[in-house]
Amino acid sequence: LFRNIVGGKTLTKEDLVKPLKGMEDHLVKKNVAREAAERLCESAERDLLGMKTSNFTSIETTLRNAMEVALRKILTPTTSLDILREIQSVTKPTSSRLSPRPYTISIVGVNGVGKSTNLSKLAFFLLQNRFKVLIVAGDTFRSGAVEQLRVHVRNLKELAAREGGGAQVDLYERGYGKDAANVAGDAVAYAKREGWDVVLIDTAGRRHNDQRLMSSLEKFAKLAKPDKILMVGEALVGSDSVQQARNFNAAFGAGRKLDGFIISKCDTVGDMVGVLVSMVHATGIPVVFLGVGQHYADLRTLSVSWAVKLLMS
Amino acid sequence: MVLSSLGQRISSAVSDLTRAPTLDEKAFDGMVKEICNALIEADVSVRLVSGLRTSIRKKVNFKELGQGVNKKRIIQKAVFDELVSLVNPHAEPFKPKKGKPNVIMFVGLQGAGKTTTCTKIARFYAVRGFRSCLVCADTFRAGAFDQLKQNATKAKIPYYGNLLQPDPVVVAREGVEKFKKERFDIIIVDTSGRHRQEEDLFTEMVDIQRAIKPDQTIMVLDGSIGQAAEAQSRAFKEAADFGAIIITKTDGAAKGGGAISAVATTHTPIIFLGSGEHLLDLERFEPERFVSKLLGLGDMAGLVEH
Ligand SMILES: Nc1nc2c(ncn2[C@@H]2O[C@H](COP(=O)(O)OP(=O)(O)OP(=O)(O)O)[C@@H](O)[C@H]2O)c(=O)[nH]1
Ligand SMILES: Nc1nc2c(ncn2[C@@H]2O[C@H](COP(=O)(O)OP(=O)(O)OP(=O)(O)O)[C@@H](O)[C@H]2O)c(=O)[nH]1
Ligand SMILES: [Mg+2]
Ligand SMILES: [Mg+2]
Repeated sequence: LFRNIVGGKTLTKEDLVKPLKGMEDHLVKKNVAREAAERLCESAERDLLGMKTSNFTSIETTLRNAMEVALRKILTPTTSLDILREIQSVTKPTSSRLSPRPYTISIVGVNGVGKSTNLSKLAFFLLQNRFKVLIVAGDTFRSGAVEQLRVHVRNLKELAAREGGGAQVDLYERGYGKDAANVAGDAVAYAKREGWDVVLIDTAGRRHNDQRLMSSLEKFAKLAKPDKILMVGEALVGSDSVQQARNFNAAFGAGRKLDGFIISKCDTVGDMVGVLVSMVHATGIPVVFLGVGQHYADLRTLSVSWAVKLLMS
Repeated sequence: MVLSSLGQRISSAVSDLTRAPTLDEKAFDGMVKEICNALIEADVSVRLVSGLRTSIRKKVNFKELGQGVNKKRIIQKAVFDELVSLVNPHAEPFKPKKGKPNVIMFVGLQGAGKTTTCTKIARFYAVRGFRSCLVCADTFRAGAFDQLKQNATKAKIPYYGNLLQPDPVVVAREGVEKFKKERFDIIIVDTSGRHRQEEDLFTEMVDIQRAIKPDQTIMVLDGSIGQAAEAQSRAFKEAADFGAIIITKTDGAAKGGGAISAVATTHTPIIFLGSGEHLLDLERFEPERFVSKLLGLGDMAGLVEH
């Protein structure tokens, strides 16, 4: 029972081989991509080599503590993610040299991950904060995509009316078959003319390994000039998460990257929230929101402690 | 997906070993490890991989292998059998018959590809002479009926839905009754996405199933699903006892190990693969061919004894 209690022991590579392998398996079971799990283990190993374990503390416990630190470090964003303040700085600039304009957010990601739903949740959040939100039906391909947003906008209008205080929402759509980049560009120009605060642009789902569809994102970014490009990744996806994040991050042309992730369907995976780690590992881009259900209020900001606790449980 | 890259890694691990000058236990362990790593990276459930590791070790039992035996053949066969048993549950999927109504219900997680795939399947049967139709029993997702309607219209498949009826059980029953009366052969019922953590959604699925008594329930699984596949598919199996699986988005880059884990856990055969967003992007699935391709087989084909 006390075999592993080695307080005061200086840790060597050999001591760590087995516990590290166990830790890696643990992370993979939590749906962390193997590549990311390996990197985290390497980082924990670097921190531990040559270290003396504390009294009555096993190697396993010492490693656990180091892993918690590593997870906390990777998940904690290095820049501020206060989206409301950012929006305000554009729609109501404090400097008189800047003229107010709408703040544009576009949502991208692979098929069926929850782009349109989480865009609607984001709209709800902005309406609660009394913004005028224009939703743009930039998915001109998938059957029912426009009607889906129409239903959301109808529901959100009711909620906005209840909210009052200037909250307002509408749909900008040009039907199916149109070039999405053009629709988005036109929508942004329209929003500026009409004095909307925020433009939320939905896009069609696309496979990250489809060259043709991915390359159209560059034109999209050029025409829509989004202030924020958020990628939706779902908590259900396996190790493909890494390549999804990398390919979307590289799709917008030189000098333009993703600004953040929305990790959706977190309510469907229990404690297997490894995708959070995989996508940040792949890109260094922070997680801005979590989707935790199918209703408008099911959007959260990331609590790093919550995530670390689930991953280590 | 899984086919090419995973298959290459596994078959090269096997052939590296069998070509090695000294086929000792250490080299054998190395091969097993390499195969397991490949499977883990392809999202096969960690639990299944460790089972497979034990099982290959036991079957080959390196220490007891005598001098004269053909070690190479024994090892190849053990690996092959284990992989086949992952994807081939040896359960016969349901085969619809003409001249009577065959009700097929689609279930699955949110966004897996149910609505897209049900039109593909309806069309698949329609061109084979079955009178096929679609029922939209997803009354929850915004725009679900429009999506099905637009797909069905493109595919020239009759459909039923009712925007004024919020209860999916009622819509499902209405649609199935109507099409049974009209003597359709294949009646496909699309349902909302759901997950095991939300009990009400599972109860709803069971209620729909009770109301329409499908001849076949199909679970649709996204080919890129990760470690959650096992628990979710097991829960769906317990609640809805689906008899077949369709894996979608196989045109993506994922290796499909999560979906394969679902097959292995639920002992349910895959019947089709979805390979794109368009109506015709559908492939039939046969486990033996899949594994042969998986292993980049040449000389191993002779080992199939099923
Ligand atoms: N449980 C759960 N379901 C979600 C969440 N977010 C979205 N969904 C569901 O996922 C499914 C797909 O959502 P959509 O918003 O249509 O996904 P999309 O990415 O826009 O899909 P495409 O436009 O077809 O690529 C729907 O059934 C949503 O209700 C979430 O956080 N939790
Ligand atoms: N690339 C690719 N995309 C697919 C495939 N099958 C479905 N999709 C896409 O995946 C997304 C989700 O498909 P749906 O059919 O709406 O999924 P669903 O399971 O009905 O979703 P819910 O009803 O919200 O649970 C859509 O964008 C589809 O076009 C496929 O085989 N390949
Ligand atoms: Mg969408
Ligand atoms: Mg659907």
